[in-house]
Formats: sequence, structure tokens, C-alpha cells
Amino acid sequence: MSDSAQPIVSLRDVTRTYAQGKTEVLALRGVSLEIFPGELTVLSGPSGSGKTTALNLIGALDRPTSGSVRVDGHELATLSRGELSELRRDRIGFVFQAYNLVPILTAYENAEVVMALQGIDAKARRARVMGLLAQVGLEGLEDRRPDEMSGGQQQRVAIARALAAKPAIVLADEPTANVDSETAEALLNLMEQLNRELKVTFLFSTHDPRVMARARRLIRMVDGRIVEDKVQG
Amino acid sequence: MNLPRMAWRNVFRNARRSAVTISAMTVALAALLVLSGLIRGLYLGMERDLVELELGDVQVHAPGYRNRPSIYERLEAPDSIIAPLEAAGFRVSSRLRGSGLAAGAKESAGAQLIGLDPARDATVSDIGTKVAEGRWLEVSDARGVVIGRKLAKSLHVGVGDTLLLLSTAADGSMANELYTVRGVLGPVGDGLDRSAVFLVQQTLRELLELPEGVHQLIVRRPPTVPLLDAKAAVVAAAPGQDVNTWKELMPTVAQLLQSTEGSMMLMFLVVYLAVGIVVLNAMLMAVFERIREFGVLKAVGVKPRTVVALVFLEGAAQTAIAVGLGLLLAVPALLYLSTTGIDVGSMSAASLGGATFSQHWVAVLDRQTFTGPIGALAFVVSVAIGYPALKAARLDPLEAIHHR
Ligand SMILES: Nc1ncnc2c1ncn2[C@@H]1O[C@H](COP(=O)(O)OP(=O)(O)O)[C@@H](O)[C@H]1O
Ligand SMILES: [Mg+2]
Repeated sequence: MSDSAQPIVSLRDVTRTYAQGKTEVLALRGVSLEIFPGELTVLSGPSGSGKTTALNLIGALDRPTSGSVRVDGHELATLSRGELSELRRDRIGFVFQAYNLVPILTAYENAEVVMALQGIDAKARRARVMGLLAQVGLEGLEDRRPDEMSGGQQQRVAIARALAAKPAIVLADEPTANVDSETAEALLNLMEQLNRELKVTFLFSTHDPRVMARARRLIRMVDGRIVEDKVQG
Repeated sequence: MNLPRMAWRNVFRNARRSAVTISAMTVALAALLVLSGLIRGLYLGMERDLVELELGDVQVHAPGYRNRPSIYERLEAPDSIIAPLEAAGFRVSSRLRGSGLAAGAKESAGAQLIGLDPARDATVSDIGTKVAEGRWLEVSDARGVVIGRKLAKSLHVGVGDTLLLLSTAADGSMANELYTVRGVLGPVGDGLDRSAVFLVQQTLRELLELPEGVHQLIVRRPPTVPLLDAKAAVVAAAPGQDVNTWKELMPTVAQLLQSTEGSMMLMFLVVYLAVGIVVLNAMLMAVFERIREFGVLKAVGVKPRTVVALVFLEGAAQTAIAVGLGLLLAVPALLYLSTTGIDVGSMSAASLGGATFSQHWVAVLDRQTFTGPIGALAFVVSVAIGYPALKAARLDPLEAIHHR
């Protein structure tokens, strides 16, 4: 990564505590990290180490207890709810662990939902979404409803939806946790390919050692802290 | 994919629940549409009868006549009032009025004597068409009279019988003459039924020895002129005289008719309350079942107001289906009721504040017949959907996504 490029994501001394009854859970205990355009970064760590919390903060779905979160040049603390919503719509793609899709919409319609919200006209949407669905390997399945697709296919639709609005970064929280290892492998290949060919910036979390092994940049978290951040060969 | 299409599909997502909701709306709407047509028919019929049979739109009297009717309180130059009004498209008929005693062979009863010109009067009043037995007045038949049905009954007189009228003439002398009953009216209003004796105006003029002037002008406005404008025109034509609209002449009935819309709306809302609860319940369930889905949508940038719109559109889609079905059920019934109607002959003696129900109760099918029940349904559904819609819009995306 060139040091002159502006980071898409920049976390500085971020903490996030949850009140759980009378005790406080320190989910993040001072996290700083930067993510640059074109990176494919894996956030790893055992369950409960703070991966989801970090992704939610970067995704403008949550606010930190202290510290600063900047995404695409915006200090999130200064944005209103509506502005956060627009930032998510226009600059961030989401792939959740499961149940990503709207059951009554077809693969095509699910993939175009964000573009439709942006007010992009139907023709332009069609061109882009059909291309993306082909790219994620769903050619011919455009009219399937979620319940007519496998878990892996559903995640592919979610990836297509995340990419449709041309976001600055795609966040995926354990996208392979609910699929078998073969499918996980394929999804991983897909994200690597999209990263390579379309220069999509990915940040996804996992606690699967096989996935970690394939990461180019691997950030390891333990107990709400980053304990390792390395670029692998 | 647009919101309306998405909403439409959501309606069919839980088809049975939507069917229950739509059925509840449909049944209530159809029933209220029919009721609305009937009630409007009833009240508009009453208003029409009042205006067309009895009162006209506007009446002119000499000042003081209405307070204390006296044959001396006359409009001395009726033609000077009538001419400009007719030139402006109004129809006017003058009536000479008196009171006296009507007697048959055995019985007698108080009577109001009404003298009119049959041809001219037909342009302002349908009373001449309401003869149940015999025929209406004819100028050529100076001694022929037409009387109210209850008067005929109490005097035991019918068509062809002789009727004695007793009154006081203008000079204070006793006036009495014999006439022939040519017609008996059907029900036209309680007062007229009980005591009306209609005569050709010249005949009454001779009985009362009133060479000139009339007691009353009945004015009908052109259809395009609003009532109050009509009154203003009459006031201008009859300066210094007592000019009143039919609403001023019968304030209780006018008020009753005026308040129909309000009371009907209230009735609609009460009936729809049950529907509203069904809708509220169904939409709450629909929202709770889809919390995670709303969470994902909000996470990817759907704004709260779009969520509100989606939920409202789902309600609107169901309402639209219910309106279609409700019309399908109600319109044939209304068409039947507006043409064939309900025979309320047995009820026709009933009167409300002096106005009689028409013998034939027909439904009215105009815009308001439909806008009332449909508008109230839309209102109730909107209110019922408000809470689930806000609930969905306010969901925190994170909590919603992790909702189980
Ligand atoms: N909404 C919450 N309320 C209370 N505690 C939470 C909440 N979310 C996460 N935590 C706690 O914060 C810590 C980090 O959780 P999380 O970010 O989900 O970790 P990971 O995704 O790495 O498994 C855990 O101890 C978890 O129990
Ligand atoms: Mg997690």
C-alpha cells in the first residue's frame, strides 16, 4: 500500500463498552487501524474478541464509546442519523452472516435494491446488476427467490447487492460461517477475484483458520485489542 | 423493484392473514356504502320533498305575516317582485292564504285555505302531482278544490263530495261558499295533510273579498344559483319584505339535514373501529415477523420514511383490494335500491320535525355516497397502520438484524 493514499477507514483509540446488567463489557479496548483502497483485509480472532463490534462501528451502524471512526473522509461522530444512513447506502456494502435477503424479492431485485434507493434508473440498474450477478456466478438464477437458492448462492446475491452501489468498502461479518467449507472456499475465491479484478476493498471477519491462512492482510484480535496486523505472502 | 410492487408482494406473503384483513374491510365497507346510499336517499328525499312540495327555495311574505298570519298582511304589488326575478331565471308563484272552517256533511275541521294559479304554481311546486284520488285544480273549474288526505278522512269526504268553507272576509263579514272536492292529496307533509284546502286563486280571492295582493310568494332558483345568492336576489327584488330561505322557515329540519354528514361520519368511524383493530393487529404481526428484514434494509441505507411508506403502501394495497371488492358487492345493491327502492308505505305517516318521509325510499348514488364510507375507511386504516409503521421505521438496524 502506498502511504500517500488516503485511508478509506481509519480508527483511532476506539473503545466500545456494553452495559450488561451491572457490569460493563469492554468489547473494544482501544483499537486503531487504517484500511486503504484496494485492500482485502481479514479480521480474525476468537469468538467474543470484538470483530463484529469493530465492523459495526466501521459500518456506521453503531457509535464508539470513545475514540474516532472515519470512513471515506467523514468523522462519523459528526454525522446525523440520516447522513449515516446515506453513507451506508452510498459508500458501504454489507454482507451479513445470514438472512441478508428480502424473501419476497428475486435474486435480481435483492441485488438492485440499493441502486433503486439511490434513484438510479431501471435501465442502468439492469445493466449493472445483470453483470454483477454473472460475475458472482449466478447467471440464469436472477429470478430465483431466496428460498429457492442455497446458502452459498444467497451469500453471492448479498455480495452482488453490496457491490451494486459501487461502495468504497465492502464489510462482511463472518460471511462464510453459515456455509459448508467447499462453499466457503468458493466465496473466498470470489471475493479475492472481485478484489483483484474490480479493485473492490474488502474487510471481512472470520474465526476460521483456513480462511485466515489465505488472507493477504490479517488483523488478529484478542479481548478487544489488535494483537497482530500483518501482510502475508 | 419499486416500493408499491414490493408492498403488493408483501400483501400476498401471508395470504390468509391478508384475506382476513381484507374481508373485514370489505364487509364493513360494503355495508356502510349501502347504508350511506340509503341514508342519503332518505335525507335528500326529505329535503327535496320539503323544497319541491311545500316550501320552495325562498319565500316572500309581508313583514309580520309569518308571526301573525292575517289576511290583511299582503304583498300589494307582487308583479313588481315577480317580474325581475323571472327575468333572472327564477320561477315564482304567488299564493293567497286564509284560514277557516271546512265542513262535510257531518263533520267540520279547521282548514288552511291556499289559493294558487295551477299553471304558474306547477313551475315551483310538485304538489299538483301528489293527488292520490281525483285530479288537481283546473282554472276552468272555479269551484273545484283539492284537500289534504287527513282532512278528507276526518271530514268523511271524498272526490265529488261537496265541501263547505267558512271564513271571515276582508270586510269582516262572514264568508261561506260550497265547493266540490276534485282531488285528495297523498301524503305531502303533516300540516298540509291535516288541514290543506287548495283552491284556484281567483276563487279564494272572491271568497275572502280580497281584490288584490297576495300573502306569499314561493320562489325556486335556477339550479346553478346557490341558496344564499338566491335569497339575496329575492331581497333585492322585494325590498322591505320578509324574505326567508326554506332553511330559515324550517330550521329544525334544516339543521337535522345539515348534521347528517357529521353523524354519518361518526357512525362510519364507530363501525370501522373494529376493522381498525383487525388492521392494527395484522400489521403489527406483519412488522414483527419481519424485524430482521427491516433491519437489513435499514442497514443498507433504507431511510425510516421509506420504511413508513412501505408499511403504509401495504395497508393501502389491502385497502384498495377491499374497496374494489366492497364496490363490487355494494354497487349492485345500491343500483337496485336506487331504482326499485324500498316501499315504506306503511311508514309514510311517520314524520320528522314536520317533514314527511317519501313513500318510496330510494337510495342515492352520488359521489358523496361513496366518498364518505371510503374516506372514513382510508382514515381508520391510516391511523391503525401508523403505530406498526413507526415501530418498523424506528427499529435500530443492529438490534433488528440480531433479532430472533
Ligand atoms: N449488544 C451487546 N450487548 C452486550 N454485550 C455485547 C453486545 N454485543 C457484543 N457484546 C460483547 O462484546 C464482546 C465482543 O463481541 P463481538 O464484537 O460480537 O465479538 P466477535 O464478533 O469477535 O465474536 C463480547 O464479550 C460480547 O459478549
Ligand atoms: Mg461476531
